[in-house]
Parts: sequence; structure tokens; C-alpha cells
Amino acid sequence: MKSEELFQLINFCKTIQKEGTDPFDLNVKRYLETLKEYLKKWKSFDDLLIDAEAISELAKIIELQGKWIRDRSASFYIDPVLMELKLKMLEPAQLANAFFESWHPIISMDRITSKRLKEGLDYWNALLPFSERKEEFPPPSTLETAFDIEDLIDLNILSRTEFEDAIKEVSKELEERGRIEYHAFIYEDEFEDSVKKAYLTSYLVSEGKAQLDVNPLEEEVFISPSNANEEANTGDVKSIPISLSYEDWMRWKRKQKKN
Amino acid sequence: MEEETEEELRTRTEKKVKKAAQLLFFRRHRVPGVKGWELKKALGDNYMEVIGVLNAALDKFGMEVKRISEEGEEKGESGEKTERDRFMIVLKNHLIEKASGARIDDVAMLSATLAYIISKQGKAPRKAVEDFLSAKFPKHRVFFALDRYIKQGYLGEDDKVLHIGWRTRAEVDRKTLLDLILAA
Repeated sequence: MKSEELFQLINFCKTIQKEGTDPFDLNVKRYLETLKEYLKKWKSFDDLLIDAEAISELAKIIELQGKWIRDRSASFYIDPVLMELKLKMLEPAQLANAFFESWHPIISMDRITSKRLKEGLDYWNALLPFSERKEEFPPPSTLETAFDIEDLIDLNILSRTEFEDAIKEVSKELEERGRIEYHAFIYEDEFEDSVKKAYLTSYLVSEGKAQLDVNPLEEEVFISPSNANEEANTGDVKSIPISLSYEDWMRWKRKQKKN
Repeated sequence: MEEETEEELRTRTEKKVKKAAQLLFFRRHRVPGVKGWELKKALGDNYMEVIGVLNAALDKFGMEVKRISEEGEEKGESGEKTERDRFMIVLKNHLIEKASGARIDDVAMLSATLAYIISKQGKAPRKAVEDFLSAKFPKHRVFFALDRYIKQGYLGEDDKVLHIGWRTRAEVDRKTLLDLILAA
């Protein structure tokens, strides 16, 4: 057994503890025998430390195995698959009723007492005027703008390649669909995906790869791919706010279902 | 030293029971209830006996003092490490029809989440719970609901894994919940 294998064993133990998977997936007895066998071969202090950590993690797994058996033998052990199936079948009202019937709420009240009021008053009297305490409230480090794509990349929330691929995909779709009503273009089956698409589309517009055509009287907004021959940027830059609400998306979705 | 008369003893006990009731009914911290050491400080070494008397009085009103260990396990009136345990008053029976202003679908989501997590030995990855609830509720509502349950103490979260929170252990009869769901 090499030290890498020890690390693997430690990681496996940690995964079981973290994710709550079956602790009997790990053959503790076999690992303990192997560790015992190799104990004499460890030379460095670091090897011994890793060996000790492996023993410690195995001990935690044994503890989990004990708990696992206790839980399974407890009267409320239910097969998770059966429970999941049952939960999917029940109506919200039935689930809520089951909760209410097994619920014994804590009885706890908040009440202000005269003693506490007096303490509050003393605090107020001892408090310096706000003008003298401004250093206690430094102005927040405000962002000039919202997070832009560079910030998201710096924060490792998004990779540049991932973002560029997504932009290309939206751009390609717009080219295929041609001029189209804005919301009809960005709405997807999931609201979350619609928001993502709206964000990516705004990027296309800012980059001059798509253009918006707003009809204020009809309250319609159309989007179309920019003509390559057109001048990309005339210097006349303006922001166009377009609302994207969950309710509107739901209405669209219902309409789609009817059609 | 003069021996305490029966009358004096009764008066002293009544005072202690009243004090215990006030400590337990009125919230002193963010989390309801009081720790064993706080009761000991306020009521003396025999605070468990005082709690016993209070429990007998509360029983008439369908309430009881519940004791929860730091690890969240429910305990009776005896046991070790009492001073670190949290004591709180709960409704003994579910006699009242409504004791919450929560929306029915929020309660349904909580009920399903608890049953799901209990059936998975008390913890489950948050993503798995979100996916499970999303089958019936919009994702954005699921996210907010889970965060709210965590804030309320019904759930706990460690490293994107959800587990049963202290409040569920105190308030919810888990066996009854599972039985009712399976029988529905």
C-alpha cells in the first residue's frame, strides 16, 4: 500500500461521512488488516501521520456503521425509494396535513419588560450622536456597476470558454430564427434558463451582434441578428430596459401548452 | 436552624415553578428555550424536580417541557449532561386546527423535505432535495423555502448537505410524520 492509496482511503471515508452514503460500502476489516501489515514499512514521520489519520477516519466509519444499524433497526426506518415514490404521489394538502398532525410547536413568546425598556433607554442616553460616530459606519464598498463577465470569471463562477460557447450558441440560434419577438426568443422551458438566455442576449446586443427594434406604441420588442454589412456601432449608445418576470414567463408557458 | 414548615416549602416551590414557567415561556435568546445551566442558576440544584412539577401543571393544558440534547436528541427527565441540554415547552397534542400562518404549499414542501431527509438516514445533498421538490414546485420557490427552513431551524446545512435541524427534533414526531405519509 502506497501513501497515495492511504489518501484515497481517507478521501473515501470523508465522502461517506459527508454525503451520508452506506458506510458498509467500505470494507473496514480488510483495510485495517492491510494497514497493520504495512505499518512496519512506514519510514517517515509523515507516513505515520497519514497512517494515523487513516485509522482515525476508519474509526469514524465504524461509528457511522453503528449509527446506520441503529437507524435501520429504529421503528421509523423506511425504505427511501418507497418514501420518495409516496411523496411524489401525494397532494400538497395531504403532505401539509401529515405535518400538522405530527407537529408539536414550541410555545415561546416575545415580550418587552419594563426592565428591558429601561436598559434600552439607558443605551439611547449613552449613545453619542450619529455625526460623532460616523467611523463606526463606513460607507459600503459600493460597486459602480453590477458584476460583469470579467468579475464572474475572476471569481471562478464562470470560465471564459464556457461563456464564449454559450454566446456562440445564442448567436447561432438568433441567426437561424431571424427577426423575432424578444420574449419569444429568450423564453425557455425553465425560468432559470430564460434568465440566462436574456443575460447572454443582452451581451450579444451590447457587442453589436444583435439589434433590438422597439415599438413603444405596441409595447413590442423585436430582436434580429445584425447585418454584417451594417455599421456595427454608430456611437449612439443607449440602454433598453426589458422586464423579465416569472409571472409573464408562466403566462407564456401556459400559452405554449395550449398551442 | 429552624426547620421549614410545609407551608413555607409549598410557597417556595410555587415561586420556583412560576419562575421556571416564565423562563421557558418567554424567549430570552434567538433560539427558544433555556439551557439546563440557566435553569440551575435560576432555580437551584434541584431544578429537574421543579421542571417535573411544572410538567404536571402544563399537562392540564396539553403542554409539556421537552428536553433536547446539544446533538439534537430528545431526552426524558433524567440523564447525564443535563446542564448542556436545552429545555423548551411544546404542545403535547395536536389539538388546535391551525397554529401557523404558513402557506399550505410551504408546509407541504417542509413536510416532503423532512420525510425525504429522514428516510435518507437524516441527511441528503441539497441538490438532491432541490431536484426532488422541483418536480412539484418552481425552482426559485424551492431555493427560498429551503433557506427559510434552515433559518427557522427545521433544517441544518453543512457543506451543501442538508440535515434535520434542532427545531424538527424538538417539534416534529418523526415516526408519526412518516406513518401518516405512508398511510395517506
